Amino acid sequence: MLAVNELGVRYKTGNTTLTALDKISFCVKSGENLGIIGESGSGKTTLAMSLMGLIGSPHEVRGEINITGKDLMSLAEKDKKKLRWKTIAMVFQNSLDVLNPVIKVGQQIVEPLKEAEGLSEREASLETERLLALVGLERYWKDSFPHQLSGGMRQRVLLAMALSCNPRLLILDEPTSSLDAVTRKALFEMVHNLQEKIGFSMLVISHDLSTMKDLTEKMVVIYGGEIMESGLTGEIIEEPAHAYTRGLVNSSVQAFPYKDLWGIPGEAQAGVSGCAFAGRCTQALAGCGERKPYLEQVFANRKVACHRGGIIDLLHAADITKCYMMQNTVIPAVKGVTLRVRHGETVALVGRSGSGKSTLVHILAGFMHPDKGEVVFDNRVVKTNRSACEEGGIQLVLQDPFSSLSHRLTVEDALIEPLKVNKIGSFEERMARIKAALKDVQLPADELFLKRYCSTLSGGQRQRVAIARALVMKPKLLLADEITSMLDVSTQANLLRLLKGLQNSSGFAMVFITHDLHLARKISEKIIVLHHGEIIEEGSSSYVTEESCCCHTRELMEAGL
Amino acid sequence: MSALKSIKSLMVIEYLLTFLVIISINFALPRMMPGDPFLHFSGAMDEVVSFHSKAQIQYFREHYGLDRPVHEQYLTYLKQLAAGDLGFSFYYKDNVSAIILRRLPWTMFLVISAMGFSIILGTILGSYSAWRRNKWQDNALYTILIIFSEMPAFLVGLALLIWLSAGLGLFPLAGAVTHFGSHNNAWEKALDILHHAALPVFTLTLARTGGIYLLVRSSLSTVLTKDYMKTARAKGLKEFRIRYVHALRNALMPLFTRVAIQLGALLGGAILVENVFSYPGIGVLMRSAVVVRDYPLIQGIFLVLAIGVMAANMLADLAYKYLDPRTRPAASGKHVTIQLPAKVQKGETS
Repeated sequence: MLAVNELGVRYKTGNTTLTALDKISFCVKSGENLGIIGESGSGKTTLAMSLMGLIGSPHEVRGEINITGKDLMSLAEKDKKKLRWKTIAMVFQNSLDVLNPVIKVGQQIVEPLKEAEGLSEREASLETERLLALVGLERYWKDSFPHQLSGGMRQRVLLAMALSCNPRLLILDEPTSSLDAVTRKALFEMVHNLQEKIGFSMLVISHDLSTMKDLTEKMVVIYGGEIMESGLTGEIIEEPAHAYTRGLVNSSVQAFPYKDLWGIPGEAQAGVSGCAFAGRCTQALAGCGERKPYLEQVFANRKVACHRGGIIDLLHAADITKCYMMQNTVIPAVKGVTLRVRHGETVALVGRSGSGKSTLVHILAGFMHPDKGEVVFDNRVVKTNRSACEEGGIQLVLQDPFSSLSHRLTVEDALIEPLKVNKIGSFEERMARIKAALKDVQLPADELFLKRYCSTLSGGQRQRVAIARALVMKPKLLLADEITSMLDVSTQANLLRLLKGLQNSSGFAMVFITHDLHLARKISEKIIVLHHGEIIEEGSSSYVTEESCCCHTRELMEAGL
Repeated sequence: MSALKSIKSLMVIEYLLTFLVIISINFALPRMMPGDPFLHFSGAMDEVVSFHSKAQIQYFREHYGLDRPVHEQYLTYLKQLAAGDLGFSFYYKDNVSAIILRRLPWTMFLVISAMGFSIILGTILGSYSAWRRNKWQDNALYTILIIFSEMPAFLVGLALLIWLSAGLGLFPLAGAVTHFGSHNNAWEKALDILHHAALPVFTLTLARTGGIYLLVRSSLSTVLTKDYMKTARAKGLKEFRIRYVHALRNALMPLFTRVAIQLGALLGGAILVENVFSYPGIGVLMRSAVVVRDYPLIQGIFLVLAIGVMAANMLADLAYKYLDPRTRPAASGKHVTIQLPAKVQKGETS
């Protein structure tokens, strides 16, 4: 139906050229719906315009666009006109100016058909009424002017207009941006019904995940004019493989109705030589900014353009089993747990007390040996606590700050200790680092505070010092074992926001252990429910808390309420 | 509805007030000029040339009521106006309205043809320029038209008169028809009139085209960047339809008001041009009326011109509302009486 190969668009104004699209390749099969998602300025509308053949000189369009076997690039303007609207039509982004203000709506709907088929006035009028009925508008609207329509009605008129010549491919540019939820739902239903009736393929352009979910089966994620990820819509939303896609999903209220929203930090940059997303990516390496990644298959149905092969698996634990011996009884604490933590992600480990959470965390950190199974962190098997001794390793923050921080140490001593023990940096560097860490957790970094004894601090302050102590080691993975359970709700809220903010900016992954499912769905993307040492449920936080059919999870939910 | 009515009555009051101010100025202006209808200033040395004896002047002043106090004269003037009487010319010894009516058609002929030609020419050139914005054709046209529109009309007229009429003898030197000429039929007469009008109309057209060209060019350039133009292109419409149905219709709306507002300037231009070509219109009449201080005639001419300009403005005001569906008054459109059915409002599909 539609095959786009290595499409590139460069806008030229005066002496400056701006690359809007680069090496875009995808195809839409007959009857298939493809979504193009990306934030504003990512080149979505440029893509639609180039598919319609509407980007002309002085701008430059390269590559191949093949529509129903015809190469759009090689066609003369006259033949492009024949293709437009008859084969490929577009529902433009809804704006006040999208319809001509001085021409009646009905005339605008039917004029391409009238011109193509040479209809008489009467036939055209009947056809207009038929098209209006198709999109659920009364026929008298044909004599109205665009300014008399509401936003939702204008969207319907645009749809009727696009369908007038029975196109094979329909491009929808931000079809829902100006609609309320009810109108949006009605529009989706209508589009689906029409598709069944008429049988067109769709290319949906939007920044909105729920639009994608409702209208498309396949999805392409673009950023800075390049494809970052492509695959099946549902799978991408459930498990994004590119850091950018995950950022999009995490910023979307539809994907996480309860979680705090965190946008992608930074602004899109234009004209970068390396990976377009490198500047905002938390797992970027030095090489990412130098050359462009290629779109490569990472697993079935999924392609990702990333030098690191998408979001990396930071921690992988397979079949972890641990038993405690008590006199002659064997108490199984963890039974065959397999889990995965990806870069920059927050996994909540939820379970009642005694379900094996703390044991599991100690094994993950390498402080305890499992009876069976293996933990791999950053491609290395964790056998000892070596990962905890290194920068960029694993750090553990414990539940009780009163016992985890020695009350005989000053704040400075407590914070500088891991650096001292592991012989990292000179004294000045160490001081600079602990001051930065204190600032990060919003504690004063002056001499007075540094010289205070931990015993003089409040619980919330102590816990923040404990977190700062973990942060001075610049961990890639933070294991937080019930860190807020001993704090009052206000301190807890402050601490959690702080931690999520730090995570969003520096991109460490977090395993957050809690017995509170509500807290878990507020801060994490993934929830693992542990019961008697076994994983009984896992999935995205909204799935586990909303659609779970597991009775134990339900029990936990209800107990929390 | 009541709001609309009050706006309408406000408009009427506004126009009435403007009218009152105009006739007052009209009355005052000729009387503020130095001189007197019966004493002419002539020559550079301010010599007073008098054709009448002191007693005669005294008699005339009494006869025409000029000896009475100004406010009395003003009241008489208003009374006469209300009765539709423009007064009696001192110089031509005839009814002012009759004199004006004899001359008015010639001026109207000039103004209307010049306006028509400049609109057609300005629109064609303006849209040509807008389609080729920033290409050499646009730059060349822009420069040429700016130069022509900045040149004073009477200067251009004078140059044309000297070159084409006096020099090459292609066009008559003066008048609107050949005097004492005999025309065999109406067709010949019409040709003769056109021959006389050609240069004045051309001069006026040249002076006015620039403004219209600029307006159409900029207005169309703005329209071309609008989203609906993209829509029209995407729909694969024929070039003609895109340009003339979708673009030009939107671009010409401001032109309409502009033309009406510029009518005053056009009339001013016509007065100068008529004098250059000695064309027997209102302009020549006005000049001689001013020279001889013929108060009633000056007042009459000014009044007619002022009413003409005001009427044009009012017409533009009203017509624009109908041209643009967005400002069209709600009561007259049949489509507006339609109420939204509840179903559509809720956004349900049928």
